[in-house]
Amino acid sequence: MTPASGRLPKFATLFAVFAIVGAACTASPAATNQRSTGATNAPPSGGASGGAADIYPATGEVTCGSGTTAGSFDGEEYKGKVKSIEAPDDYTVVFNLCSTDTAFLEKMAFSVFSIYDSDWLEANVSNATHLTTMNGTGAFVLDGWQAGAEIDYSAYDGYWGEKAAAPKAVLRWGSESAQRLNELRSGNIEGMTLVGPTDFETVSNDDTLQLSTPPAGTNLNTFYLGMNHDVEPWDNDKVREALLYAIDKDRLVDNFYPPGSEVADYFTPCALEFACEGDPFPDFDPQKAKDLLTEAGYPDGFETELQFRPAVRGYLPQPPQIAEELQSQLADVGIKVTLDQQDDAQYIVNSNTGALHGLFMLGWGADYPEITNFMDYHFGAGCTAAFGKCYPSVADPLTTGGETTDETTRKTAYAEANTALIAAAPMVPIAHGAFANAYVAGLDVAQASPLSNELLFRMNVPGGGDTLRFMQNSEPGSLFCADETDGEALRACEQSMEGLYGFEINGSKPVPALAESCDPNEDGTVWTCRLRQGVKFHDGADFTAHDVIVSMALQWDAGHPLHKGKSSQFEYWAGLWGGYLHASKQPAAPE
Amino acid sequence: MIQFILRRLLISIPVVFGVVFIVFVLSRIVPGDPCAAALGERANPRSCEAFNARIGLDKPIMPFLIKDGTSYGFTGDPSSVANNQFVVYLSALAGGDLGTSVKHGRPVTQLLFERMPTTIELTFYALLFAIIVGVGLGIIAASRHNSKRDVLSMMFANLGVSIPVFVLGLMLAYLFGVLLKDTFFSLPPSGRLTSGLRPQSIAQVWGLTDLTGPPRGILDFVSNMYTINGLVTGQFGLLVDALRHLILPAIALGTIPMAIIARMTRSSLLDVLGREDVRTAEAKGLRPRVVLLPHGLRNALLPVVTVIGLSVASLLSGAVLTETIFGLTGIGLTVFESISARDYVVIQGLALLVALIYVVVNLITDVSYGFLDPRVRVT
Repeated sequence: MTPASGRLPKFATLFAVFAIVGAACTASPAATNQRSTGATNAPPSGGASGGAADIYPATGEVTCGSGTTAGSFDGEEYKGKVKSIEAPDDYTVVFNLCSTDTAFLEKMAFSVFSIYDSDWLEANVSNATHLTTMNGTGAFVLDGWQAGAEIDYSAYDGYWGEKAAAPKAVLRWGSESAQRLNELRSGNIEGMTLVGPTDFETVSNDDTLQLSTPPAGTNLNTFYLGMNHDVEPWDNDKVREALLYAIDKDRLVDNFYPPGSEVADYFTPCALEFACEGDPFPDFDPQKAKDLLTEAGYPDGFETELQFRPAVRGYLPQPPQIAEELQSQLADVGIKVTLDQQDDAQYIVNSNTGALHGLFMLGWGADYPEITNFMDYHFGAGCTAAFGKCYPSVADPLTTGGETTDETTRKTAYAEANTALIAAAPMVPIAHGAFANAYVAGLDVAQASPLSNELLFRMNVPGGGDTLRFMQNSEPGSLFCADETDGEALRACEQSMEGLYGFEINGSKPVPALAESCDPNEDGTVWTCRLRQGVKFHDGADFTAHDVIVSMALQWDAGHPLHKGKSSQFEYWAGLWGGYLHASKQPAAPE
Repeated sequence: MIQFILRRLLISIPVVFGVVFIVFVLSRIVPGDPCAAALGERANPRSCEAFNARIGLDKPIMPFLIKDGTSYGFTGDPSSVANNQFVVYLSALAGGDLGTSVKHGRPVTQLLFERMPTTIELTFYALLFAIIVGVGLGIIAASRHNSKRDVLSMMFANLGVSIPVFVLGLMLAYLFGVLLKDTFFSLPPSGRLTSGLRPQSIAQVWGLTDLTGPPRGILDFVSNMYTINGLVTGQFGLLVDALRHLILPAIALGTIPMAIIARMTRSSLLDVLGREDVRTAEAKGLRPRVVLLPHGLRNALLPVVTVIGLSVASLLSGAVLTETIFGLTGIGLTVFESISARDYVVIQGLALLVALIYVVVNLITDVSYGFLDPRVRVT
């Protein structure tokens, strides 16, 4: 071996390391996240602070749309529901809406709409550190995010509410439920999310652990069997009706769902107000199903596909097994189905574009706990294409119910919608799946939130330890949750950040947080929020109405200088509030 | 030797290009929608159009080849020759840019930089375990050919090669993490460090926090290998904690290569021990241990080294499962996450990295023959 040849591999390795290190050092996150927003109307961070009234948009007026006609702002089409946000003083914020929004509080309580310190945002967005750090008002201060390992918090001494029960908290992650359970049983963590369906019994029988499930009736999800009535044979009303009687839901829930799951008699879980007005879906009756198929011209049944995806969800814990059971039940009434398992992501695309032409298995979990979130997306005026063209008989009462705050009118409207849904039969609601978290025994306020927002600061450490360690299923994508959609990121943010409202522990009722109250006017188009005074952000800055306006405006206005996140899509804003100002400036061009 | 190395490096170029091409094509043929994976299941079509435009997925995949929804087709557009995803990717690659991860919103090089130390550390200890135990078992088996020791050693090796990584990993985690909890043998079932332990970087300990650029990058890279960090900075608590966390994943990952190395060492050593020169050494009165180790083992190591080189390949693929089971955020877990999220650029970047590692390891293996067998140097 010559000396030269001996050095060459080492040199090559060293070169490769230098190349990677060099590239990593030169490619800063800030450089990749910067883009020109070209905001025209927006002042640097949404308007003046203190003194004069603060309003967004500061110049120009939003014209609301009506019906199918879009509104406008600054020469562009505007499809949103928000007209303006103003602060008559430092501790009052007024939301002017284009139309009644009965779910205003539920939406405001969603952690995506947490409040940021406006000065902190201006200092951190430019170098993208807002993606990896937080400065909130919550009970825990972020100590640091060790990428790939854990997120560390410590109690905030200046918290306005009840102080954290444990001085420190650690949020970890592991994709496999068995792995999380091993960590729990080995004493390395105090709590974990999502116990595997087969481990419910193991945890329940272990004296050192406790199983925590959401309160009865609060499984805020629905599994259903869908049909697209634009294609054969689902264009035949009798065929769809027959399906309502063909499925033995009790058998499915008993055999394939974890304890605490419920048979779905309505599309929307009954824990939500107005969800279960009107008639329930009919009970299992295979003979009636056969009779209806005969009436429909299919006395010997027919052949079709049963389409599904393998992804496990709270509403669908065992997809292939449930598909096989459905195949067997349908065969009993003469419908021979071939199982068609599709790719996870592609399946959703196919569903959204109405390309699932067989029977299809799908479900829904709540974004916010209100009936509109379940019904309007699927069957409202702008319904998903999954079931084919919208059903006006269902959509019209949903529009009525969503645009009034009058309880009696809403009750009548949703009863009409639910009854019309049975007549239209676009799907068969089957189950509301349960889930469970697990904790060590002795931990108080064990949580299994129906909305997945477990708050660690309420939990103590049994035995007097000073660090509460909790494990979820994956690492957050970023800590700027205004622009996040995954529950793991939201849970990480919820420990430090707060919105005007939050949700009650283990429940779905909105409760005041940074706002002491938010009250609507008579027709529900103007919401006035009185803010809590004396609240300070973790860096010591005062919380004022200006922070609320900036936090909302940066999501609402695609041309806002702070409209920058990991993807800069701010999906939930558009989903929940209809659309953006300066929508043409939503990130589209390659950066 | 230099010529030999240069020739091997030149041959590697088309190999690496081939890997890049195949991975690029495969990642796009696999069904699935990166938009739904990145923006969530409820992303609307308009958002997805904007998303696809932003990351260049609206361009033809390759010259004349387009993807429209779920189907593939051809386009007659001549501009697709110069403006397609593959060309864009190659030109960026030529400039050292591996792209930006859709899932993480950060450059792929930065992700590799952050996550590679975990995999390097895991692979190193797994290989160490495989070599020490594998060669040891092989020697024991060969030195007592057809004895109980031989049979037991090879049974152990066969068992090791038969158990899938994920089964062994879960069993070890359960045994040492749960059943042996609160005993001397208790080991953490997942993670790299105990919760709440925040290691200081080498730059912090050595007072080099003002250091910038590549030297700082290298220090941070090495700092992220906690056992080395703990050793060189004197953070022995960190060293011990990191080692305790590495034991189970290293055993799970290293067991299959260990079994292969053991079998190869045994058979190779038996061949060598039967040779005339070795029997002559015995006849000359050399002690059995001297005959076995310096004479026998050195001559038997050539095929073993080849197997060790090839084992690096199986360790890298095994790291996908091992890191997932033990919650280690390294390259393997990143592969798993990226495939799930259809994060094409990360998949491509990781495949390129692994291909380069293969090339370098194979080269090192070939070169090491020269140390072990002078005849290779001559040829």
